[in-house]
Amino acid sequence: MSRSTSRSNRDRRIPRRPLLWLAAALLFTLPPMFASLATWVPCLFLLALALKFWMEPRGYRLRFAALKLVLAAVALFAIFASYGSLHGVEQGVSLLVVLMSLKILEAHTAREFQVMVMIGWVLCLCGFFLSQDFAIALCLLIGFALLLVALVQFHRGSSPGAFWPPLGTTGKLLAQAAPLAALLFVLFPRINSSFGFQIRDLRSASLGFSDRLSPGSITSLTDSSTVAFRAEFPDDRTRPRGPMYWRGIVMWHCEGMEWRAPYAPVAISPGSLKPSAPGPHTAGELGRALPAESTSGRAIRQRINIAPHDARWMFALDRPFEVPPRAMLARGNYLWSAQPIRKARRYEVTSSPQVTERELEPLDRREALDVPASISPAVRELAQSWSAQNSNPRAIVNSALQFFRAQGFRYSLSPGEYGKNDLEAFLFHRRVGFCEHYAASFATLMRLAGVPARVVVGYLGGEYNDLGGFVLVRQSDAHAWCEVWLADSGWTRVDPTTVVAPGRASLDLDSFLARNAATGELNTRQNAFVAQLFRSAIFTNVRLAWETLSYEWDTRLLGFDADVQEVFLDSIGIANRGPFFLVVEIVIVAVALLLAYTGWMQLRTRSRRDRARGLYDRFCRKIARLGVRRDPWEGPSDFSRRAAQSLPDEAERIREISNIYIALRYAPESTTILLDRFAKDVSAFPSHSR
Amino acid sequence: MYLSLFHASLFANWAIPADYCAVTDHVDAFVKQICEVIVGKNQAVKLAVACLLARGHLLIEDIPGVGKTTLSQALARSLALAFQRIQFTSDLLPADILGNSIFDRDEQRFVFHRGPLFSQVVLIDEVNRATAKTQSALLEAMEEHHISIDGVTHELLEPFFVIATQNPQHQVGTFPLPESQLDRFLMRIELGVPDRASERAMLLGMDRREMLKELKPVISPRTLVEIQDNVRKVHASPALLDYLQDLLDASRQRHSTGLSPRAGLALLHASQAWALMNGRDMVLPEDIQAVGIPVMAHRLGHDIEQPGKSGRTLADNLLHSVPVP
Repeated sequence: MSRSTSRSNRDRRIPRRPLLWLAAALLFTLPPMFASLATWVPCLFLLALALKFWMEPRGYRLRFAALKLVLAAVALFAIFASYGSLHGVEQGVSLLVVLMSLKILEAHTAREFQVMVMIGWVLCLCGFFLSQDFAIALCLLIGFALLLVALVQFHRGSSPGAFWPPLGTTGKLLAQAAPLAALLFVLFPRINSSFGFQIRDLRSASLGFSDRLSPGSITSLTDSSTVAFRAEFPDDRTRPRGPMYWRGIVMWHCEGMEWRAPYAPVAISPGSLKPSAPGPHTAGELGRALPAESTSGRAIRQRINIAPHDARWMFALDRPFEVPPRAMLARGNYLWSAQPIRKARRYEVTSSPQVTERELEPLDRREALDVPASISPAVRELAQSWSAQNSNPRAIVNSALQFFRAQGFRYSLSPGEYGKNDLEAFLFHRRVGFCEHYAASFATLMRLAGVPARVVVGYLGGEYNDLGGFVLVRQSDAHAWCEVWLADSGWTRVDPTTVVAPGRASLDLDSFLARNAATGELNTRQNAFVAQLFRSAIFTNVRLAWETLSYEWDTRLLGFDADVQEVFLDSIGIANRGPFFLVVEIVIVAVALLLAYTGWMQLRTRSRRDRARGLYDRFCRKIARLGVRRDPWEGPSDFSRRAAQSLPDEAERIREISNIYIALRYAPESTTILLDRFAKDVSAFPSHSR
Repeated sequence: MYLSLFHASLFANWAIPADYCAVTDHVDAFVKQICEVIVGKNQAVKLAVACLLARGHLLIEDIPGVGKTTLSQALARSLALAFQRIQFTSDLLPADILGNSIFDRDEQRFVFHRGPLFSQVVLIDEVNRATAKTQSALLEAMEEHHISIDGVTHELLEPFFVIATQNPQHQVGTFPLPESQLDRFLMRIELGVPDRASERAMLLGMDRREMLKELKPVISPRTLVEIQDNVRKVHASPALLDYLQDLLDASRQRHSTGLSPRAGLALLHASQAWALMNGRDMVLPEDIQAVGIPVMAHRLGHDIEQPGKSGRTLADNLLHSVPVP
């Protein structure tokens, strides 16, 4: 009785070292919380951890049930107050974190320590609800492993022991678990949206451009380095030549400086598209504004990994003509997803720059010429002066481009505020703007001059990663350009920005800005030193490698969803025949694995004996080199005595090694530790080299 | 701490458990007492004790006058067991050793009178002086520890231990023991003449007969049974059994009459006893080698293809040619 009391008293305090490991592990579960939960929640968690280290040696802890209940109620209320509801992923995770903080303050027994470790693992899982980023995943993996270390250290008892063994044990455990995890990853049925909540990336949901192109809407994106999507080209070794125009949405509705996409796009069939004949009149201004890429007209297949953005547009190189599943081709020749993209999605699409609609329907023509009545007379006059000069649409386009080139327009990221009716001010007075200003005003002018025109919003360029062989497109690569209808070549891309800022099209925005900054044309946006650092070779390489890893993580691991799994299982001969067969298959595999493991263990026991024998033979050879040869019929004990007599310098070692061998080979039971020690001793023999 | 734990586990295999300590103490005292009587024959004495602990019977072969009978008597007296001595002669009959039924006039029936074999330690002096008929009367008692006579089976008391002495076979008036009889003896040991110093000590010392009378038992019958039980528990690892079987196989390949399975058991039990006497709970190849000649020689000595070689030589060759696996 007294013994058991003293024992439970000893259990009162959690030893310091496991607690340290646990704290370290919990710190690694924090990053996703800081990114997406109300800030006070992870702060409370940190505070609780710090308090624990102060309280534990003093024996303080949260004792009273009433106080605990009150605190839990307060926490619940605080969560309701900061989120406005209690329903949702963030709220649920917050509640878990807050309760874990209270648990940390309360815990004091061995059992509770184990509970804390278990909750820690649940927190790791919750981290994935909040973010599936590669960096976060790495963090959570470390946290996961450290929790295991904490548990191993805890079970080693109160004696401190060495620092490394728990780590070694953990490593071994994880290594043993890895094949099973891989097997489960491949075989475990993926659950498709049967959860009551959507797991999504909260951060990118608010970013990205919208279905409305207003002055300043893209400028606000140029500061964002968030990844929009990544694309690889399965058929090509490198990126396609020429600038990469990534088509996003097409805007039809003109309101002067502001353009808008249709709320519900109309689908068109890919059959209505035709490769346009390259026009013979590509000389002059139009020829320069037309992208060089259009001269090489072959189809390019792309595999695109898009980040969730909560809207339905999907991107493809200009212009897509094959539609991936669960998407359609909208009027204006762009991709439109069947569902809002709430989690990372991977699709394949084929584009060719010369694909366009065969003819312009009268209805479409009317829409493509529609301008608001609020356009000022001066602007109308300008446009009509071009059409009066020459009624050929190509000549009108050239006149407009000539206008932008000759009238001292400037390219700037901070052009100041424009309203939607400020077209006149932009064209005649301020003459400074960003791609969206040029695209919007140019398209409006074209319509006024009687040339059907529309605005395309998407991305231009992107960073090609040689290591991973993919293009990384960030929000800062957002771009807007125009398309005009020419009777002989259909919809033709015209990028007025390239006239104002030559070179923008062939470079990504950052490089373009950097080059201009060097020539003093633009103000540097960044501190020179930081900019230099960012452009240094080593930093670039590290960044590219990291991006590649992150890309692989997104495509290979996160991208392995139910569809990919089914294709994969089909390819290895496990057809999807329903859950019953899957369970049977899993059981068969498990039994087979178990049998293999048993066989391996038996083999190992046998080989252990053989290994001892082999090591002993090596030991005997070593002694023979020192001059004492063992007769084949001589027992180990006799030989040890004889050898020790002849080699008094080594007598001690010889006796010791022989004794271990005898224990290994003839004793009732031997241990692996002993065998390892034997191996070490034999290889260390003789103690000094002669 | 890690290291000390390791050492504990290492020497757990070596540490002799408490009851083993007691066992070796008893055995040491036993051996020491006998060695005081039989001077300079430590190895032979130890072998004899090992034979006793392995529940085997002992055959001592040597010329007269080297102390065969003295050794047997010393063994018997140090054990506190019932002791009988039978002198075998050429006219001895089985009934003389087993006992016979004599008509009791008063009770009007035959009453069985137990012979001298009904004992615990039986010393049979000059076992090869009796005819084969009498020698064979020993077989049942030695192997099965009971005696059947007139249709009744009489159990013998445990432990039962036969020590037989015999003169070398070339002496006049001997009947060589048949192979089946020899196989019943776990060991055959030879004493040989003592070395000079030992002989001097013996010449100067007390009269051996007086010493024998003064011997006190050092092992109680119960302890002896316990020790004998412990002997069978001494661990023989797979590697060791490999070696033992290699020996048996080699003997069968080389000699017309190889070692029998009973000889294999004898070898194992004797080496277990030897290991225990040396304070080990596991048998080493060295143990087999130590008891190999006394256990194997008399079983191999009848090889008609190699008449010139004594069993001793054959056994020795065997031990020096079969490698320890």
